[in-house]
Amino acid sequence: MGSVTPLGLTVEETWANLLAGKSGIRPIHIFDAETFPTTFAAQVPDFDVAPYVKDPAAYAKAGRNIRFAMAAARMAWQDARLKAGAFDPERTAIYLGSGEGILDFFTLADSILAGLGPDGKVSAVGFAEVGFKRFDALRELEQEPNMPANHLAAEYGIAGPNYSCLTACAASTQAIGESMDLICTGRVDMVMAGGTHSMIHPLGVTGFNLLTAISTEHKDEPWRASRPFDRDRAGFVLGEGSTVMILEELGRAQARGARIWAELVGFGSSADAYRMTDIHPEGRGPAAAMRAALADAGIGADVIDYISAHGTGTTENDKVETMAVKMVFGPRAHQVPMSSVKSTLGHLIAAAGATELATCVLAIRDQVLPPTMNLDTPDPQCDLDYVPNAARKARVEVCLSNSFGFGGQNDSLVVRRFVA
Amino acid sequence: MNRRVVITGLGVVSPAGIGAAALADAVRAGRSAVGPVTKFDASRYPSRIAGEVREFDPSDGVRKDQGRYVKKMAKVMAVDIQLAVAAANLAVLDTGLPLGDAKADEAVLPTIDHTRFGMVFGTGFIPTELDELAAPTAASVRDGKFSLKGWGSDGIPKMFPLWLLKYLPNMHACHTGILWDAEGPSNSLTVSDAGGLLALDEASRIIARGAADWMLAGGAESRVNPVLMMRYCLLGRLATANDRPAAASRPFDLGRTGHVAAEGAAVLVLEAREAAEKRVARIYGEVLGTGAACTTAGVNACDADGRAVALAVRQALAAAGIEPRDLGAVIAHGPALAMHDRSEAAGLAAALGQAAKSVPVTAMKGVTGNMGAASGLAELAAISLLARDGRLPPILNCERPDAEAGLNFVIGKPAAMVRDTVLATTNAIGGQAAAAVVRLIRAS
Repeated sequence: MGSVTPLGLTVEETWANLLAGKSGIRPIHIFDAETFPTTFAAQVPDFDVAPYVKDPAAYAKAGRNIRFAMAAARMAWQDARLKAGAFDPERTAIYLGSGEGILDFFTLADSILAGLGPDGKVSAVGFAEVGFKRFDALRELEQEPNMPANHLAAEYGIAGPNYSCLTACAASTQAIGESMDLICTGRVDMVMAGGTHSMIHPLGVTGFNLLTAISTEHKDEPWRASRPFDRDRAGFVLGEGSTVMILEELGRAQARGARIWAELVGFGSSADAYRMTDIHPEGRGPAAAMRAALADAGIGADVIDYISAHGTGTTENDKVETMAVKMVFGPRAHQVPMSSVKSTLGHLIAAAGATELATCVLAIRDQVLPPTMNLDTPDPQCDLDYVPNAARKARVEVCLSNSFGFGGQNDSLVVRRFVA
Repeated sequence: MNRRVVITGLGVVSPAGIGAAALADAVRAGRSAVGPVTKFDASRYPSRIAGEVREFDPSDGVRKDQGRYVKKMAKVMAVDIQLAVAAANLAVLDTGLPLGDAKADEAVLPTIDHTRFGMVFGTGFIPTELDELAAPTAASVRDGKFSLKGWGSDGIPKMFPLWLLKYLPNMHACHTGILWDAEGPSNSLTVSDAGGLLALDEASRIIARGAADWMLAGGAESRVNPVLMMRYCLLGRLATANDRPAAASRPFDLGRTGHVAAEGAAVLVLEAREAAEKRVARIYGEVLGTGAACTTAGVNACDADGRAVALAVRQALAAAGIEPRDLGAVIAHGPALAMHDRSEAAGLAAALGQAAKSVPVTAMKGVTGNMGAASGLAELAAISLLARDGRLPPILNCERPDAEAGLNFVIGKPAAMVRDTVLATTNAIGGQAAAAVVRLIRAS
């Protein structure tokens, strides 16, 4: 496993900070957001991509999302102790939940102004005059959503199946779930899977502000802004980053003497098919995804020790996710701890699911649950055990990780301690 | 579980018109749908021609209640999404599944289990319509220059609230899912030209493993807009034969000058074979196998030896359990950019081996231009109909084919199609390659 997140440039640093309840949320410094409705986000600390790639010059025009993925992948690769020549590149796949890159907003704006006519419309003639001079071809290419996966293929010589999906906030959970199918059907032996994304750019923050999906509160103490399951929650906080995992067919991993972090045993996917802007009020879709994941794992809900919540901190998500967990777990819902690392990590959008799955794996290793921070005032509609405000020692053998996307895609994974 | 997967519905919206038959007819007649760009003033663009979808109504043919939804939501659907919804509607209507009586307050498609109905779409990055950014950008100017401080305080309030949702690449599936109450697995693959066939690959595996019984495999994209045409012009990928639009898209021809930007959508309805047979559905064909691979040559390159396409084809043939000589036709991507075409042709030749000299290879982008993520599936839909002729139409505008390609291109006149199993391929520059083997059923 490899991660770069707002809480650290490694999986372990991220995990230690999560357990300590430290927040990665700060005023936005990667662009001037001073006058935006939301002025804070969870940003990845600055780092140089050079140590993680063979030819840093090949990444000169690459956006943050690509550099995050390259760093996370290198750490995952090293963590798996894989070497070139020790794997079959044609029987290895890549599957990323991956967003668009960061567009050249100033050039776009200047080109639009150049084309702006008295009728308030933009002529492509004026737009072209500035745009063709100022837009950079390669930088434009690097924004395409399949670029992180394509860079990984070139960097590692991974020639097998290659997928990028963008099912909003569910993308990397879906990527890992579908990767399981690629291995289980014998199509490939190994998948480099995960997610990478940054929407901490002017149009990203704009879009979420317009939807009133991200919090605008606690400007002066932004680490208090992400409040999953709290009565005073007011939206999520944007994060960014990448987590990449090496998934392998068990027999092959054992044969090469690999250290096995955990076993992926179940994947479930569903759609709300309800409304563009709202989640189904009864949590029908999330419940179906969780049930499908449990069925795929061949286990009952009674076996789950911990739920990594989608837990965004929006009024609706947290209420509906709570309802859906009650539907699936019945009365035992109150006994199953469920926390949201988004309270300190922010919402990594397409990278959220993979990053949260990594925290499940570490919870199993360390027998400890990461807390939901900022849960100060209980919400009567959110009455489960959210591991409030402090990490907790617990018996953790099997975890369920939830991701639900804008647009109604719901994905759940079941991961458990590997027992030979 | 490894269940068999059949195709029971076709939906295409392409520059050639509405419906799979419109595309098949244009391909059969050798009629180009490429013309001058009319959607914006492209006079300052090196490439000023495109395959545009002239007129379509994404609420055509569906129930009144569905039509109302589409009309209401159209303003928050970018053209890519509208194309996808329209093609999906055509495909579902084509299955012959009972729609349900809206007046009697009946659910749509009452005979299927909606929790086992899902979809995978291939989609692309959708740039914002420039006019939508005009007023907010103008309001952001400070001291004669665009200012982020101005944008934050005065630009953002001028944007419309649902702006982001109009352009998300998973909204094709979101709206289609709502319209048809598809509550099963839903994915949106952003893998450029390979999106459609990779959607078919994943959707068919979802049925095969038993996670759904009905899946839409779709692809939709519009590249006919000022932002993407500028991007692809800057990258040197677009055709510049502006004075001869109908002859501009020249797959595998030595006179090619690049992709013709185009737009369109294609959706296949996939069904578990036992479910389709049980309801005595019309079956267009069976998905025998799919394959996927990726170039490692770099993000702005294609491998000269076509190894990514070759690997995808070998996987698809192996999954189908057939030899190259069992193929009746290859429907190639053939986007008409030299680097792109050559790589695909080399890959096909390598994977087909001895059979490369005999299996006829055709391509349809001479008619449509490059519809991006709609590629592959649009061609499969069209060939499902064209196969009934028993003849494979020639590649429009391919007059002097790559001699070194070593393939049996269909040139000038139709070729006999002596077997019903076809191979379709697509590849994205710098990235993904995909292949699918489908056994067509000509009867019905």
